[in-house]
Order: sequence, then structure tokens, then C-alpha cells
Amino acid sequence: MLDNLINHHAFLTILCMGMVTYLTRISGYLLLRNRNYPRLTRILEILPGCVMISLIAPIFVTGKLSDFIAVILTILAAMRFSFLMTLIVGIGSAGVLRHFLPMILH
Amino acid sequence: MSPPSSVAQQKLKHHIRHECLRAFKTAIPLIISFIPFGMMLGAQAKMKGMSWLELVLMCGVNFAGGSEFVAIGLWQQTPPLLMIVCMTLLVNCRHILMGVTMIPICRRQPVRKMLLSFFLLCDETWALSLQDSYRRMEEGYREPFSYPYYITIAISFYITWIITALLGLLIGPLLGDLTQYGFDMAFPAVFIVLLKGMWNGWRRGIPWACSLLVACVVHLLIPGQWYVMAGAMTGLLIVLCLPPSFFEINHAR
Repeated sequence: MLDNLINHHAFLTILCMGMVTYLTRISGYLLLRNRNYPRLTRILEILPGCVMISLIAPIFVTGKLSDFIAVILTILAAMRFSFLMTLIVGIGSAGVLRHFLPMILH
Repeated sequence: MSPPSSVAQQKLKHHIRHECLRAFKTAIPLIISFIPFGMMLGAQAKMKGMSWLELVLMCGVNFAGGSEFVAIGLWQQTPPLLMIVCMTLLVNCRHILMGVTMIPICRRQPVRKMLLSFFLLCDETWALSLQDSYRRMEEGYREPFSYPYYITIAISFYITWIITALLGLLIGPLLGDLTQYGFDMAFPAVFIVLLKGMWNGWRRGIPWACSLLVACVVHLLIPGQWYVMAGAMTGLLIVLCLPPSFFEINHAR
């Protein structure tokens, strides 16, 4: 019965994910407790942003005008409002624009 | 008359209860903000054909939202293990920095205890706990790190995350194709908010902009998930090539 819910490969993937994540959580504390590497710190300060912005790149180049406007509105909302408000603006504008923008343009 | 040790014990008990309550009150707005995240994760897991056990295990063993969204994005019947693990490392390498920033505030805590509690470290727990420790430092506490405060916040986020993800998997699909209502925009919105929180002046934004540009081009030209790696590596290269003084925060502001 358990085989229907999870296969060995999926289980192994999740276990490896968890191990890697736990290592990232403790390694900074463990390795740098008594040291100071300014260059590494600087890379770690900027790299997560690079990864995150790369992750959301596809939404900028879907080729649909509605998606592009919605993502710009989401960025503007993030600069002014809380997380929940930004989420509402992002989802709301994408939903409305995808529905109505093709009607207006054609 | 109760012996003095018992009085001290009761005082400690009272203190712990007080700290837990204070932590929970602080965490409530963020617990609420976890709900749409978790529901989205669950709904996407359902779309990818994940079982509830796989989802709960992932949330419970990994417990790092960003990497779970990425892993589910890459999920298949036989998941690409190496790709997912590499992506997990890339997305979660920010934890290394968080751990480093925790060093000065938990210097008096036993190392083994900290190693155990770091299992539950996430963006929000880290931010709240650090903020609280800085405040306690200013108020002149001998020990800036409040362990009951940290662990209460961490556990309430952990439970919320697993329950909302499971809820998303069970009732998310009832909402139909979330994309037509714009629900897929939640993913970029989440990361845009995280990026905004990490924004530290335009000079530090330059590697981000280069990452975005390269990731967009690679996404258009090469099928698959390579755009993430290409974008991240571009950013890394830019950081390594520019002189360290370029990224000094006092210059950037």
C-alpha cells in the first residue's frame, strides 16, 4: 500500500533534499563560528537574489502582454505593500488582464 | 514553605510560558501569511501527481518553502534527483548566511542544542528571532537569544506549513485550473517580495539584473530548467569579477 503513495526514488530525492537543506542551515554556524571571510559573506549576500530572480524569469518572457503588465504591477505592489497585498495584486491583475486584455486589443 | 530550588523552578516555568506566549503572538500575522503559500504548494504538488505522503515528507524533512516550490516544479514520476538536489542547494544557500548572522547572538548557547534547533530555521523564524535578540541586547539582557521564543515560532511555522500544504493538495484542485485566475502569479509574487526584502541598493542589484537578463534569454533559447543555473552563475561571475569595494553597502546607499 505504501508503494502507491511513495516510490523509492521519490523517497530518496526527498531525503537528499532534506539533508542538503539541513547542511545549509548548520554549515554557516559551524564553519564560521570563529572566523571571518568577507568575500564569501558578500557572495552569499547577493547569490540568493540571483537564484530567486532567475527562477521567476519565465514570467517576464511568456510573450503575453497581460503577464508582463501583471508582473510589473506585482513589483510595484511589493515596493509599497505587505506580502499579502502583493499576492492579491499579483494574482488579481494576472487573472483580470488575461481575461479582459485580449478583448480590448481585438 | 517550599525550598528555594522549587521557587526558582516555578519562576523558570513562568518565564518559559511567558516567552512562548509572546512568541506566538508575534508569529500570528506570519502564520496567516503562510496559508496561501502552503495552499499553492499543495495545489501544485497535486497538479504534478505527488501523493500526500510525498508532500508531507518533503515539507517535514526539508521545510524550506522556496526549494519545495522548485522541486515540485521539476517533479516527475521518477524525479530528477541530482537536478532537484542541486537546485535545493542553490535556493537554500542563503541559510548559510543566516547561520552566520546567528553566531554573535547565540554564543552562550550549547553548540549541540543550536545544531538541533537549526533544523527548523527558516526565513521568517530567523528574521523574528534576530530582531528579538537585537532588542534584548539593547535592553541589556545578559543572554540576547531567547530559546523558548525561537522554538515556539519555529514549531508553529512548521505545523502551519505541513497542514496548509496538505490542505492545498486536498482542496486546491477543487478550484480548477488556477492559472486562468492568475494563481500562478503567486510564485513570482512570493519571490518578488523576498527579493524586495533583500534589496540593498542598486549596486548590489546589478548582479540580479544580469541574472534576470541571462535567465530570460536562456529560457527562450534552451528548453528545460537550465535558465535557473545560467542566471545564477552569471550573477556569481559578476560578483567575483567586480572589486569588493563596489558592493560596500555605504557606497550603495
